[in-house]
Amino acid sequence: MSQHRQALEKQFARILSEYGGPISRLAFSYEAVASVREELVQEIALAIWQALAHFRGDCSERTFVYRIAHNRGLTHVGRRRPPHQPLEELEESEQPVDPRPHLEEQVARTDQRMRLMSAIQSLPVTHRQMIVLALEGLSQAEIGEVMGITENNVAVRLTRIRKALKDTLAERMTGERT
Amino acid sequence: MTNDRELDTWREQWSSVAEPPAEFQRKVQERIKRQERRFMLGNLLAVIAFLGLLIFALFLRHRSTWMGPGWSTGLIVLVFVSAACRMWFSRGTWHPQTQSTRAFVELWHKRVTARIRLLRISIYLLLGWIIFCAILKAANWRTIGQDVGTHPKVWEVVLVACVLMQYPVIWYGVDWLRRRKLAELNEVEKIMNEMDGKSVP
Repeated sequence: MSQHRQALEKQFARILSEYGGPISRLAFSYEAVASVREELVQEIALAIWQALAHFRGDCSERTFVYRIAHNRGLTHVGRRRPPHQPLEELEESEQPVDPRPHLEEQVARTDQRMRLMSAIQSLPVTHRQMIVLALEGLSQAEIGEVMGITENNVAVRLTRIRKALKDTLAERMTGERT
Repeated sequence: MTNDRELDTWREQWSSVAEPPAEFQRKVQERIKRQERRFMLGNLLAVIAFLGLLIFALFLRHRSTWMGPGWSTGLIVLVFVSAACRMWFSRGTWHPQTQSTRAFVELWHKRVTARIRLLRISIYLLLGWIIFCAILKAANWRTIGQDVGTHPKVWEVVLVACVLMQYPVIWYGVDWLRRRKLAELNEVEKIMNEMDGKSVP
């Protein structure tokens, strides 16, 4: 095996361990069904591996990973438009397990989390992409770099998307109470 | 942490959403190996099929009727025309202009459009090939007809039937793929519209 290939494999393994969580979360925003989501996570990892050989460091590794992951997520949505399955309808086993010990707090947190996930999934796909990047902690400049739009444009759109997300969450809260 | 409490709360909820699936890395490594094997095997089969067709076509040139030379020439032309069409329609679809999502979606649009055009051309090429074979047979019928009339062979009839039946199957397959690509194009255009802010809530 060549040294170049070994170095790539090492870098890839590090990226997977470092970005495994973010990639899984990102896949969550594109796919609600657990088995298909797992497949999507693997496809994203595969796409990163394929692109890694051409990565010349013209952007940060973080931007590179998120860019590929989102592009793969978009392709997934474009090729397979499944009937939307709200997260509330997912089986209990499909919901991520929270390791925190206090049961009531855990239930409340899980509810909030699932409501947020469900609200994010109801957004148009490019809005979903932008809010997910913001939630992952990317700066507006980085989001602009990933999406190919200006920082100002990101700021304007993000404000609108956040308002839409807030409204959706409020609607869902009201719906649950009534 | 930023001063934006709402975003911070969402971030906290979001960051506890999901962990990578169990044995994630091992599964990905296995998938990479599988894909590399498939890629090599696919290329090898394509080379074997291409060379096989050319050798078969050249072999047919030495038959007594001019059916063989005609068919082999037609086959070589078909292979080269198909390859040329593929190259022509794939112009500008190899790499995106930049690495951004927008560039990716634009490239995706180009690729799907190119594939749809290629599939449409494939239907015409298939039709042209059927007509070419029919004309070739009709032109050589005096020789072939005599042979068939004096030494009728069942396997030849079965072979001709199988060859004829593959055309509607290929036709249906190409049309199905084209409809699927049209649906994909529709989705890509929706995403592009979203990017242009045409459906911002």
